[in-house]
Amino acid sequence: MVLWHGPTPRVAMESSTSSGDIVALKMIVMMKQVPDAEEIFIDPVKYTLNRSQARGIINPSDENALEAALKIKEKEGGDITVISMGPPQAESAIIECMGRGADRGILITDRVFAAADTYATSLTLAAAVKKIGDFDIIFAGESTTDSGTGHVGPGVAEFLGIDQVTYTVDSRIESGMLTAERELEDGIEVVSTKPPVLVTVLINSNLPRRSRLRLKVDAIRKGVEKWDHDTLSLPVDWVGLKGSPTLVGALKIPEERKRESRPVKLEEIPALVDELVKKGIIKIGDDA
Amino acid sequence: MMVELINCVVPEHPEEYHDVFVYLEHKNGKLTRGSLEMLGKSEELAHKLNEKAVGVAVGKNLKEIAAEAESYGCDVFLGAEVTDFSGFSSVAYTEFITSFVEQYKPNIFLISGSREGRDLVSRIAIRARTGVAADCIELDVDVPNRLLIAWRPSFGDKTIDQILCKRHRPQMITSRPGSYKMPEKVENHKCEVTIKKVKMAKYAGDHKTIEFKQKDRLDLTSAKIIVSGGLGLGNASGFKLVKDLADSLGGQVGASRPVVDLGWIPYEHQVGQTGQTVRPKLYIAAGISGKIQHIVGMKASETIISINTDPEAPIVKFSDYFINADASKALPKLTEEIRKVKAGTPASSPG
Ligand SMILES: Cc1cc2nc3c(=O)[nH]c(=O)nc-3n(C[C@H](O)[C@H](O)[C@H](O)COP(=O)(O)OP(=O)(O)OC[C@H]3O[C@@H](n4cnc5c(N)ncnc54)[C@H](O)[C@@H]3O)c2cc1C
Ligand SMILES: Nc1ncnc2c1ncn2[C@@H]1O[C@H](COP(=O)(O)O)[C@@H](O)[C@H]1O
Repeated sequence: MVLWHGPTPRVAMESSTSSGDIVALKMIVMMKQVPDAEEIFIDPVKYTLNRSQARGIINPSDENALEAALKIKEKEGGDITVISMGPPQAESAIIECMGRGADRGILITDRVFAAADTYATSLTLAAAVKKIGDFDIIFAGESTTDSGTGHVGPGVAEFLGIDQVTYTVDSRIESGMLTAERELEDGIEVVSTKPPVLVTVLINSNLPRRSRLRLKVDAIRKGVEKWDHDTLSLPVDWVGLKGSPTLVGALKIPEERKRESRPVKLEEIPALVDELVKKGIIKIGDDA
Repeated sequence: MMVELINCVVPEHPEEYHDVFVYLEHKNGKLTRGSLEMLGKSEELAHKLNEKAVGVAVGKNLKEIAAEAESYGCDVFLGAEVTDFSGFSSVAYTEFITSFVEQYKPNIFLISGSREGRDLVSRIAIRARTGVAADCIELDVDVPNRLLIAWRPSFGDKTIDQILCKRHRPQMITSRPGSYKMPEKVENHKCEVTIKKVKMAKYAGDHKTIEFKQKDRLDLTSAKIIVSGGLGLGNASGFKLVKDLADSLGGQVGASRPVVDLGWIPYEHQVGQTGQTVRPKLYIAAGISGKIQHIVGMKASETIISINTDPEAPIVKFSDYFINADASKALPKLTEEIRKVKAGTPASSPG
């Protein structure tokens, strides 16, 4: 049985060392390659998703997560490891991340990982973080565009027993503490916490940089490490479909209230507006 | 607390798990709309199962929260009153909620898919070693098997998937605020209230809220009229036309997800599975194709008008009126006519 005793808080950051030694920040970015939404092809008969036709892209908010890590690296120094669980094709997305400035790339790939729900995905990624060892901050996207639950980041934090700061639009290091702004429904919450911590980053919260050719060439030369369930010492029935508590039962085609779909031509817009007014759908004298 | 990195454990005695838990999120001393909707759902499910709806809350001044929950028909209230409150902390909240789960062993656990709910649900589920179905739009129970039947839109457009958590307990789900109707108040209902005092410092550690900058976020869920734009607007400036029409109608601006992702308009305008779920009197969709993830967020609208160049677009069959035209022409035309009507000139007058 694998037992994770949690990361020892690294007293290594500038402010907390009395000797004045500065040990670089260690950051991990969790990135998933997702199909480009525009190119998804649905099999009309079997209702299955044909992902092979869709081009893989970095999950949009993961680009913002990487950018948030790169910004901290620029200011504070340190290194960034990108981890991704997915099929072999996801390697190209990791190379792209390294081309933007990540130092190391790890692809967690194994047939037995397929069809994992968020429990099994979080378990597998947490096992990978454990294998990496020391870290200060893990960055994740807020959610993925393909399954879109936003559960994996907090799930990994829970398995590791570390703090989390979700929905961030900004994060920085101040005197050894992580300070971040969280965007909530009713305002912005500014939070401060001590690493190790997992931070989830909102889409569009920063402008992801482009990759540099030189860095990409270096990345290809360096290569992407590949880890499977053996590397992670995870039993096969803990991962993928077998390790997933939820399952998809039946499918149904949504039944909808029948609507008339009455065609209206451009020239008929005045008549339409007239009708809406008569029906009370648009009210006159209802100021702004 | 460190969680052992192990697989999901199946409880030996699932029959020991009973009742329907609901997480009661509250802000400024009031239950949030999302948690009220979930409370309503938990009562509905509990009645079918002949069980109880149990509200769980963390924070300050929980007596008031319990009273509000009672007035909406909650049967049991379990509160963790934080005596050294230092702001929201996922770790501390998870700890308190989990202690209720371990003690009580609920069969079903509903959490609103608000930001706070989504922050917590996954940690609670992993601690309880169970699964979660996120963003469900329909809930039911298989009474003999006490199984929660949750439905969520599939990734591949067009179908709705049934998500089951057959062997693990509790069976957990989230639904976005706006997914269900608000529950009715219940007269003379008695709720059994237990509030325990807890301290968060031990769990929250160095995690502190330094500042909260209140900002009223656009609430589309209570809007009467919404005009939404999608990729068919062509570019960000297309939203000017959408805004003009919305203004002329005294309505709000909505959007599909890709235009939010492109940065044409902020996320607070997004309608759909991962945005807001709206039910206005009038919904106008311009340049939106009508993929299921958008439809689930607006199909409860009373009247729907769509504007699209493609007569085959899926949105058409969800519309009461379909304007088969370029949005850049139809939007200004609508605005112009509405302004005329509001100014007192009959719309159908010649000219
Ligand atoms: C997990 C998940 C969650 C999602 N959540 C959401 C969500 O919350 N909300 C959401 O909206 N989407 C969501 N989506 C995305 C959804 O699947 C669709 O991709 C999206 O709704 C499409 O947006 P659209 O209609 O603007 O773009 P498109 O599908 O590209 O449609 C554009 C439409 O504009 C029409 N058009 C083109 N030119 C013109 C013109 N000049 N005038 C008028 N019409 C024109 C086209 O005919 C077309 O019908 C989600 C997807 C996933 C996988
Ligand atoms: N397979 C994966 N590999 C690496 N990171 C992932 C994976 N799945 C999810 N994540 C991370 O978790 C975040 C939330 O994902 P999700 O819960 O699927 O919406 C993503 O933005 C990623 O940062």
